[in-house]
Amino acid sequence: MYEAALTQKEPKIDWLLIGALAGLMLVGLAFIFSASTASDPNSRFWIKQAISYGLGLGVAIAICFIPYETLSRFATVGYWFAIALLVSVMFFGTTRFGAKRWIDLGFFQFQPSEFAKIAVIFMQASFLSRSQEELRDPKIFMKSLGLILLPFILILKEPDLGSALVLFPIGFGIMLVAGVPMKFLRRFISGIAVLVVLLLVDILFAPPQWQIKLEEYQRHRLLVYFGQDFAPRHASEADRQRLRQLQKDKSYNVEQALISVGSGGLTGKGWRQGTQNALGFLPRAVAHNDFIFSVIAEEKGFLGSVMVIGLYSVLIFSGIKIAYQARDRLGKLLAVGVVTMLFSHIFINIGMNIRLMPVTGIPLPLLSYGGSSVLCSLIAIGLLQNVYIYRRSY
Amino acid sequence: MLVLDQVRRSDPRLRSLALLIFLGFAILLVGLWFVQVVSQRKYENSLRIQAFRTVRVPAARGRILDREGRVLVDNQPRYNINLFLEDIRPQFTHEYTNTLKKEFVAQHGRTPKASERWALEKEARYRVVSNIVWQVSSAVSPQPLLLNPYGFEKHYREQRAIPMSLVTDLTPQQIALFTGKAADLPGVELEVEPYRFYPHGSLAAHALGYTLRDQKSEQAKEGEISFHYRMADYQGATGLEGGYNEELQGKAGAKAILVNNIGYRQSEETWVESLPGKNLVLTLDLEIQKAAERALAMSGPDTRGAVVALNVKNGDILALASAPAYDLNMFVRGRDYTSNDWARLNDPVLTPQYNRALQGAYHPGSTFKIIVALAAFEAGIMDLQTKVYNPGYYMVGKRRIADNNAPVGEWAFVEAFKRSANTYFIDVGLKAGEEKLIEMGRRFNLGEKTGVVQPGLESKGHFPDIGPRVKADGSRWTDGDTANLALGQGEIMVTPMQMALVTAAVANGGTLLRPRLVLQLEEQGENALPEVIPAFQNERDISVNQQHLQWIRRAMLEDVEDQKAGTGKGAYIPGMSICGKTGTAQVQTPHGMNHVTWFVSFAPFDSPKYAVVVVMETGSHGSGALLCAPKAKEVYKAIQKSDLDRLKNIAVN
Repeated sequence: MYEAALTQKEPKIDWLLIGALAGLMLVGLAFIFSASTASDPNSRFWIKQAISYGLGLGVAIAICFIPYETLSRFATVGYWFAIALLVSVMFFGTTRFGAKRWIDLGFFQFQPSEFAKIAVIFMQASFLSRSQEELRDPKIFMKSLGLILLPFILILKEPDLGSALVLFPIGFGIMLVAGVPMKFLRRFISGIAVLVVLLLVDILFAPPQWQIKLEEYQRHRLLVYFGQDFAPRHASEADRQRLRQLQKDKSYNVEQALISVGSGGLTGKGWRQGTQNALGFLPRAVAHNDFIFSVIAEEKGFLGSVMVIGLYSVLIFSGIKIAYQARDRLGKLLAVGVVTMLFSHIFINIGMNIRLMPVTGIPLPLLSYGGSSVLCSLIAIGLLQNVYIYRRSY
Repeated sequence: MLVLDQVRRSDPRLRSLALLIFLGFAILLVGLWFVQVVSQRKYENSLRIQAFRTVRVPAARGRILDREGRVLVDNQPRYNINLFLEDIRPQFTHEYTNTLKKEFVAQHGRTPKASERWALEKEARYRVVSNIVWQVSSAVSPQPLLLNPYGFEKHYREQRAIPMSLVTDLTPQQIALFTGKAADLPGVELEVEPYRFYPHGSLAAHALGYTLRDQKSEQAKEGEISFHYRMADYQGATGLEGGYNEELQGKAGAKAILVNNIGYRQSEETWVESLPGKNLVLTLDLEIQKAAERALAMSGPDTRGAVVALNVKNGDILALASAPAYDLNMFVRGRDYTSNDWARLNDPVLTPQYNRALQGAYHPGSTFKIIVALAAFEAGIMDLQTKVYNPGYYMVGKRRIADNNAPVGEWAFVEAFKRSANTYFIDVGLKAGEEKLIEMGRRFNLGEKTGVVQPGLESKGHFPDIGPRVKADGSRWTDGDTANLALGQGEIMVTPMQMALVTAAVANGGTLLRPRLVLQLEEQGENALPEVIPAFQNERDISVNQQHLQWIRRAMLEDVEDQKAGTGKGAYIPGMSICGKTGTAQVQTPHGMNHVTWFVSFAPFDSPKYAVVVVMETGSHGSGALLCAPKAKEVYKAIQKSDLDRLKNIAVN
């Protein structure tokens, strides 16, 4: 199919990518419908999602009219604007589920952290699209690291560990392709690894007074993921019982997601035939957003999962192809940033449904219900198209 | 991959990123394959455990029919009012948020904590349900019911997925009241449940036996799934209901209730269809059975006695009656009965639960003279012409046994038999010797169970063993004991069923039958074939001279037909040529003298078809001639009518 696209003279649009995108959006609508109407037949979530898709597509198309080169001139401005938004969330944000992540505009609530990701991609890409010699300068490397760390800390404070951590693969991807010397990258990776290991050891094994301050629910999620007992070794019997119950409650979502996915089998139970969601075992609050993949996997089975991953692969590898074909380093790095961001989301979210990853509030791009996430994903994909369209001249 | 090929050519960094991503997708796919394909069964099981509640659904219990297909035991619908909790969940929430929570906030100025909320929700549930219970019960009965909070909470905790029973066994009036006033209450539904019904009440009570309603019956049998819930079932406790419980019960099915995450019912599906039990077709004839019981009742409601009617050709039991009996429905709908009824059931003298036809062991009295005569004929010590002089008494050693049955004089066999002359039979009995008497009795299987019912429901009576004899009390056997035995007293106890078989063997030419109560088992449903219980092989030929049997039969005919001297003349029906022998045994009990009166008989003389045995326990008076022979007559009338009806039916068809 895309051989044709390649041999065609100067194709303006990557139709394969558009096709995968359309497929994903249809899947998204179908299963948000399935997930939300099972408990509430009057649910309008799927219509809201369709509106988000429309809005997102509109913004994505609009973006394509302005060459990315022009857009990237505002990278710095956009970056600091995003930082400002993140800071303002701390003061004016709306609290949902114990975390301040949203800014309420009255007609629309949005998550600045989603847009911060786009801003970071722009910022990193334009910052690192400089000559190889300059990239060898450790100061440049430190600066680019700082560009990631600043929003990381702010998002971590919300708290939203998942979204914060996603910044690292984005940064790493861009640095890797930009040509930052391998020794820096090795240090970057090993630094992160050491940090993560120390963090985990601290959280999982250290006595309470030695543990770094982490939100209680984050600690629980990690304990659940690593199968650790909630109760400390010297806990009293009453405490132990209470903590056991807590552990059961906390593991609940993951357990139920696994049962959903697993009981789907090879071919699934059929659209709208899944019981886990309809009976409320898979909590209704998360079925249509963070755990939408469980619903798809239960109702369409392994074949459905393969289809979803297939669509994402087309999207992602089209993105890599665009990066390859990009006219300049800026375009390539922008494409790489978008690709790593989308991929990290996909991997973490699906991984969490099958207990490969701890539970984090990372949405599944385009499939999870949620305006900010859809908008962010579509803007990112619009950006890919932009790079593709202007690969020759602008 | 085309995309990767292009990347490979120029940009190694981009290529390695693509490779990493490719690896990531591969990991996801392998993980999904492992969860969805490899571990599918495991997760399906978890799903089943958390989302399904299995319920044991009893099969339709087989009916019991008489030999003509008339219903003896049936299933009838009864109506209950049930409450489906899942339908009133909105009311639970409403009651909590709009009433209890508001009250709490008004009182404490804050919202309830988790533990307080739990208690309030429990209270809300109780309020809603007790309100419904009150509405329903006040609609159908003058006395509204109060909901037991403990019982309700237990049901809510343990059986949330199955409906809660509010009122059971409604009368037609109550059903009308319910549909008029309360049927549209939320979650309330009328349920039809089959229950065991005995349309003839106490008829053949001992043979049929009763059932008990059983909620937690028999824990999961082999091969059965273990169930979360069991629906009410009936278990046969005694009689045929007990003995054929497996066959009647069929095989229980299973249904699964799909529940949601808080345990409320969502839907149901049948996993295993139940297999209905088989119908039991008996050898009993409803009309003859009725006649037998009517005959017993002729002497009053507290008559203690039994009637056995047999087909002497194949051992089919046509009537098996024991009086007094009890209403079988008592054990299913106990509340319809008074405390007097229940007291009577356990009366130590009347013992209505005791099956006198099979469990009652009595001295046979003069009816045993049939066997004494046969033993004497076979021993060759007498023939029809042998005469014995009766001086009005008989001396055995120093003991004088009075004989008021026959006038003083010399008598031959037939005359002595129909007058039941004691002197005559003591004389020939002693001449034949106790060994011959006992050996002959053993040929008729006296002292052994007939095997017609479960061993526990039958007595084997008592009869001495062949060989060196010791009496039941351990003392030495004397001529006095032989004389006693010759009169059917002392070391001998028989059941009415045993005597019926003795009579049948004499009638049919010496074949000791095995009695049969169940004719066939038939599957319920349309094109099911009946499973015929084969007639038993004739168990034993008593191998005696046919001439001797003919002499005895002739004497028995005389006993009934001789309207002057025959002791059995009370059974006489013109043209039916009934042959019989009466008997009256006297038993010394702590309460005084007790009489057991007998009439054993068969008919017709020429080609015997039926045997009828009547026994009665009476007080210090009464004889077989006066009490039992007329009852046998009633049974024969019914047999005659039944035969006629059958002939008519054949003619019509």
